[in-house]
Amino acid sequence: MCEDTINNMASKWVETLREAEKTSIIQDGRRKIHFTLKDGTELAEEYDTRNNELVVRKWRKKSTLGSQGKWDFEVGEQLAPRNLDAEGLMESTSNPIFVRTDTKKAFQWRIRNLPYPIETYDVRVDAENRCVIIRTTNKKYYKKFTIPDMDRAALPLSQSSLSVAYANNTLILNYEKPKEILAQEKILQEEFKKMKAAKDGDVECNPS
Amino acid sequence: MAAAAAQKVQEVREVTRIERIGAHSHIRGLGLDDALEARQVSQGMVGQTAARRAAGVILEMIKEGKIAGRAILIAGQPGTGKTAIAMGMAQALGQDTPFTAMAGSEIFSLEMGKTEALTQAFRKSIGVRIKEETEIIEGEVVEIQIDRPATGTGAKVGKLTLKTTEMETIYDLGQKMIESLTKEKVQAGDIITIDKATGKITRLGRSFTRARDYDAMGPQTKFVQCPEGELQKRKEVVHTVTLHEIDVINSRTQGFLALFSGDTGEIKTEVREQINAKVAEWREEGKAEIVPGVLFIDEVHMLDIECFSFLNRALESDMAPVLIMATNRGITRIRGTNYMSPHGIPIDLLDRLLIISTSPYEEKEIKQILKIRCEEEDVEMTEDALTVLTRIGMETSLRYSIQIITAAALVSRKRKGTEVSVDDIKRVYSLFMDESRSTQFLKEYQQEFMFNELGVDTEQMETS
Repeated sequence: MCEDTINNMASKWVETLREAEKTSIIQDGRRKIHFTLKDGTELAEEYDTRNNELVVRKWRKKSTLGSQGKWDFEVGEQLAPRNLDAEGLMESTSNPIFVRTDTKKAFQWRIRNLPYPIETYDVRVDAENRCVIIRTTNKKYYKKFTIPDMDRAALPLSQSSLSVAYANNTLILNYEKPKEILAQEKILQEEFKKMKAAKDGDVECNPS
Repeated sequence: MAAAAAQKVQEVREVTRIERIGAHSHIRGLGLDDALEARQVSQGMVGQTAARRAAGVILEMIKEGKIAGRAILIAGQPGTGKTAIAMGMAQALGQDTPFTAMAGSEIFSLEMGKTEALTQAFRKSIGVRIKEETEIIEGEVVEIQIDRPATGTGAKVGKLTLKTTEMETIYDLGQKMIESLTKEKVQAGDIITIDKATGKITRLGRSFTRARDYDAMGPQTKFVQCPEGELQKRKEVVHTVTLHEIDVINSRTQGFLALFSGDTGEIKTEVREQINAKVAEWREEGKAEIVPGVLFIDEVHMLDIECFSFLNRALESDMAPVLIMATNRGITRIRGTNYMSPHGIPIDLLDRLLIISTSPYEEKEIKQILKIRCEEEDVEMTEDALTVLTRIGMETSLRYSIQIITAAALVSRKRKGTEVSVDDIKRVYSLFMDESRSTQFLKEYQQEFMFNELGVDTEQMETS
């Protein structure tokens, strides 16, 4: 019974993507897919063509009043230079930078620019509120984040799947993907392979 | 040393920003008491008690917000306080009610149709109060550091360190943010919120941990707890936007074409219809609330017959704001036709208006207004000078005598006087002609001016 509902939830996400309007392009060794979901939300994903790893996943939603918002990165990071004067204020580059970089087997987060030793950090899964919290004993860094993939599949979070490593001023969190997620990703990859992708520089038009 | 002094001068100039004094900057409201009785002198308003009472009644109507599409005409001779009454109404309405002021001649542009300009003005005057989720940064200021470049000019560089009980982050600041932080006088130990989308800064109070610093503590200083958790939060805020702003947001060309859309130009009817439908939907769901505002059209006789017929129609819509118009014309030609009509407004539109009329000021009132203006412009004047000025005001016009104040103040300052005396007024009066003296002069010396050799009949000059 329980297994069944879980499968249902997982396939719901696949179903949402199936119903969305999709365009795809292969460019710079990446398969870039753009989804427009039914509610008007935009989702853009980039996969490495060599190993089908997810490099970027970003969201964009229209505000209540209809203005186009900025891309919100779930996986990967914004590489385009930012304009300080247009933004008004932004986080200094010397701050810790929080980026999600997934691997095949695990969700992974890297927090760069964290100079404190490993015993400073306290990483805990809050299963009830469905989030992970990073605390520091010196009160310099705090981050509360969710794992959207797990929310979409409605899977419970567990502390045992989470592991922490620290090297080169970077704190690395690993959360092993449960088998449901792996199965779902496999289905999606199959779907993407079926999609017709425009090659870069290709013009989709037949000159008569 | 010299450089340091120069920097100091610049600093002073930045802090005391000069607010310019406009013709109606002394007006702070309509000057009515709770029973809507007009006080003789209050909130910068003098006399015109009947007109102000009428305006007060209209104001109550607007505040209730139930009636849409009413129109009011303020009619009166030049210089009898028509615009002042409208400004007073705007001030009394407060921040949250949209008030759009425009002049009748503003709508004649080659880039935009007349009706489009009017529609935009109408939609600027209707507010929508809506809940929106925005990203805010909330924290205690640990350090604020603003560096001016060594040369004294050029862009400033700033850094702001904020903390919560759990974390600390350094932010780089842009020019605008530096300015607003300086304006708000934000300093270390303050708890502030910054709205990321608009850049608006709000000071919540001082941190409790700074409670032992006894310096710079006024009676209003509030102590608050340092926020917890993350610095960036998503929060729902309620704010008022005008229909026009929503139009603009939704009519922007998307993609790279957005680069070329500097101004809005004409907005398509379809966009407006969509937005009206959307707003109606929000209203039904209880997500939004309509705040009808006020559109003020000064010099309304400058509108032509097409605009008037458009107004007739537009006022019937349930989304129409309260329209206030002002004119100083009597029976004159309606622009764009050969028909004469009172105030240059067609009878069918006049029929829909409530008309408030203003009357010329009396001597006592003129004296009072001049006194208020002297205060507004920081001019000291002797009692005799004020009496002379009042006489000038009675014989020429109120505007002329107000202008004399500024000029006379300059003259008295140049002779190192502390107060403006009768002589200063006389001096200025002889230097600058008023309208009637100038006309007199022209009548006498008409023959000596250009283009009079041909003896053209000047009476035929078109002035309307």
